[in-house]
This record gives sequence, structure tokens and C-alpha cells, in this order.
Amino acid sequence: MKKAITMEVNGASCRVEVEPWRTLLDVVREELDLTGAKLGCDIQVCGACTLLVDGKPVSACSVLAVDADGRKVTTVEGLAEGDRLHPLQESFMKFGALQCGYCTSGFLLTAKAMLDENPHPDDEQIKSYMGGSFCRCGCYQEIMQALRSVARS
Amino acid sequence: MKHFEYLEPGTVDEACGLLKQYAGNARVFAGGSSLTILLKQGFLQPDALINIKKIDELRRIEESGEDLVIGSLVTHHDIEVSEVLARRLPVLCELEHDVANIRVRNMATVGGNIASGEPLTDLPCVFITLDATVRIANTSGGRTLALEEVFVDYYETQLQEDEVLTHVVIPPLPAHSAIDYVRFSSSSVVDKPCIGVAVRMTVDPDGGACREVRVGLGCVAPTPMRARNAEAALEGQPLNDDNLQKAARAAAEECDPMDDLRGSERYKREMVAALVRRLSSRVYDQARGGRS
Ligand SMILES: Cc1cc2nc3c(=O)[nH]c(=O)nc-3n(C[C@H](O)[C@H](O)[C@H](O)COP(=O)(O)OP(=O)(O)OC[C@H]3O[C@@H](n4cnc5c(N)ncnc54)[C@H](O)[C@@H]3O)c2cc1C
Ligand code: FES
Ligand code: FES
Repeated sequence: MKKAITMEVNGASCRVEVEPWRTLLDVVREELDLTGAKLGCDIQVCGACTLLVDGKPVSACSVLAVDADGRKVTTVEGLAEGDRLHPLQESFMKFGALQCGYCTSGFLLTAKAMLDENPHPDDEQIKSYMGGSFCRCGCYQEIMQALRSVARS
Repeated sequence: MKHFEYLEPGTVDEACGLLKQYAGNARVFAGGSSLTILLKQGFLQPDALINIKKIDELRRIEESGEDLVIGSLVTHHDIEVSEVLARRLPVLCELEHDVANIRVRNMATVGGNIASGEPLTDLPCVFITLDATVRIANTSGGRTLALEEVFVDYYETQLQEDEVLTHVVIPPLPAHSAIDYVRFSSSSVVDKPCIGVAVRMTVDPDGGACREVRVGLGCVAPTPMRARNAEAALEGQPLNDDNLQKAARAAAEECDPMDDLRGSERYKREMVAALVRRLSSRVYDQARGGRS
């Protein structure tokens, strides 16, 4: 049995009808065509599926879509303003902080939430906040450089 | 996932009523961090999920008289950044920096941490050493249990099918007391803990004897537990090398760890001994120094 839910996704109100057992990741990718967030581990460990719900990072692989009813959801597609990329996106390009890009959406959104909470984190604070995001290509050095550069600006 | 109904009661009474109606075939749905995994993997197939997150009164951390009252919907991250707790029990805020990852800390709740009966957790071990109790609502008026009594076995608690855990109540620390916790992880820091040890004691200002000693152990038995023989080894005497050693050995013997990928049984017992020794000595010094 479907349930109607309303979310504000990247600033725009959107209404979808979903079965209660569908995950937020599934609905955002399959119903809303926002495919930046990826499915990795499916058990809240890797961070590839990260979305911001009311500004806070969560593992969308393990959030029921019905549980996001009435909330604000931010996906990586919502980071840029029109043609202007978010400073984090610019910085990831500048420092080459990705190879395959599978983890990138999760890293960018988690970093955005971190900077919203604390605009100038030091290295330890960055590592502590970002520690639960995995990059299987091993671009951690470049990701740190990219994050450090934004955190210091 | 098997198909289920999704219900959103606005009050605790309503939630208990719905649970009763489903007679064991419904589950309380809090943060969902544990449930969604069990549902996806087919380990649980309830007819209904009762989402309790619309019940705002369960979200608060409050001081009530001398007690601290933590609502069951308070998340790990709420604890991490709570001003009340930073002032009253900073040990809780500090341990949360290492729990899971930021995404789980944003979702997972205190109630779920306890009610899931998961063996590899942090908060319950500390709550037990604080002599915490839990308030439980049900369709026949509710009850209060010592937290320690809530746990029965791996993934098994005393909670009955119509019950909702509503609050954790923590009494104040006596004067001249200290408490501390060590979360030991044998692989990466973002892994679940391998061992948790919490120690609390009061130190007699004249004479320096240890009083009201609590040694809590997590992850090394089917449930979080008090190491009562270790406590007895320290109770009533000033701390010295001899009783410290006895307490450490007692704790290593009375726990019941499992061989797993985080370490062998023997390794875990040795680590329990080392951590109990180190932590007891640190907490003794803190309590004696008047810092708590
Ligand atoms: C990747 C990962 C890492 C983790 N690392 C740690 C860690 O380092 N330390 C740690 O302590 N924990 C850790 N956890 C466990 C996590 O903290 C628990 O899963 C969480 O606290 C459960 O809370 P929840 O609100 O999400 O529970 P839910 O998934 O909503 O519920 C869990 C169970 O409890 C029941 N329940 C929930 N709330 C109530 C209530 N109020 N009354 C009655 N029954 C209730 C549900 O019916 C269900 O059976 C980790 C989990 C994950 C996924
Ligand atoms: S896919 Fe969700 S955390 Fe890995
Ligand atoms: S760039 Fe490939 S996983 Fe991070």
C-alpha cells in the first residue's frame, strides 16, 4: 500500500507515492532521477549513499523514504547554484580528489554538513567528522588537501 | 523487504495500544539504523512498524531535580553536543565522538541502542555503572527497571510486545566521585567496539578508601554487565597494586567474551584485565583529586 509523502528536495517541493519499505536512496534515484548518491555497502558503513536530511548526513541506504516525509533533502545535484559549482566541488577538481567518483557525492555532502556546523575545522576535526566515509580508490590524501583548502579559506 | 504497515502514533499510549493490537507482530521503529538492516536482510518480517518519532516528548535531555532524564529518541549526536551533559556527565559526550560514524550518530537513538539488545554498544555499559534506570510504558500503566535488568541475552531484552522504552534516568554522582570509560577498538576506529570498560567510584576524603565501586563491561558477554567480583576487590580499601591486580584478574575471569574477528576470547580477557587496571587507577586519582 502506497503512502503519499512530501519532501523539499534541493529546494523544490516534491510529492511522491511510495511503499513504506522503499529506501530513501532508492526513491531519490529511481523516482526523482537524482543518481549522484550510490549504493555501496547497504549497511551504513561506507557513506556512498549519503544524503543530507534537514542538513544532517544520513545513510540513505538505510532510511525509509516514508521517514523523510516533511523533511528537507539535499543531494549532490543541489550543491551547485545554477552553473556555479560549490567551493567544495571546485576544490575537489583542483586537487584531483577522485578517481572513479563513486564516493564523491557522499564526501561532498558530508563535508558540506561539517562546514555548516564548523566553517574552519582543523585536520583532526576533519578526520573525525569524515572518518566514516570510505574511498575505495584511496584518494584520501587528495580529499584531505581539497577539504583543508576550503576549511582555511 | 517483506511488506508492512507503517503507523505513526502521536502519543506513547497510542503506540502501546497499537503494539498490543499487533500482538507481537509489530516493531517499534525509532532511528531505524538497526531495524532497516534486519528488514533488508530478511531477519525480521513484522506486519507493522510503529514509528515513534512523532512523539516529541521523548526527544529531550532534562534535569529533573537531581536526576538526569534522557528521552529514548535522543540520538547519539544529540548526546555528543548536549550542553547539559557536557556540564553534568562529559564522559557521555566524549565517548560519542567514537561511536559509529556521523550518519549513524544522526539517526540512531538511545532507546534503540538499549532495546535492540545489540552486544557491541557503548552507552549501556556506562549507564549501568551510573546505576541508571529505565522507564517503560505499556498498556497496563508502565514500570521502571534497573538498566542492568533490561538485558537478557544477545539481542534479547525484558521488553514485552506492548512496551515502549521512554526514558533513561541517571541519578546524581555522589561527592568525591569520578567516572570514566574506555572504548577499545581492535581494528579501525569506525568499527564497533571490541571492549568497553567503565569505572565509577567514590573515594573517602579521609583515608582514601574506595566506596560504591562500579565496574561495567561492554561487548565481552551476551549483555553489558557489572564485574561484581572486581568491584568487591576494591570496595572499602584504598587502591594499591595488590587490590588493583585482583580486580583486574577478577574482571577478566567473570566476563564471557566470544572469539570473533575483533579478537580471540583469550585476547579479550587479557585486554579486560589491562583496561580495568588502567581505568580504575585513573578514576581513583580523579576522585581523590576532587575532580569528577
Ligand atoms: C555501522 C554501524 C556502526 C555502529 N557502531 C556503534 C558503536 O560504535 N557503538 C554503539 O553503541 N552502537 C553502534 N551501532 C549501533 C547503533 O547505535 C544502534 O543500532 C542504534 O542505537 C539503534 O538505535 P535506532 O534508534 O536506530 O534503533 P531502531 O533500529 O529503530 O530499533 C532497534 C530495535 O530496538 C527497538 N526499539 C527502538 N526504540 C525503542 C523504544 N523506545 N522502545 C522499545 N523498543 C525500541 C526496535 O523495535 C528494534 O527492535 C552501530 C550501528 C551501525 C549500523
Ligand atoms: S551504501 Fe549506505 S552507507 Fe554504504
Ligand atoms: S574515487 Fe573511487 S571510491 Fe573514491
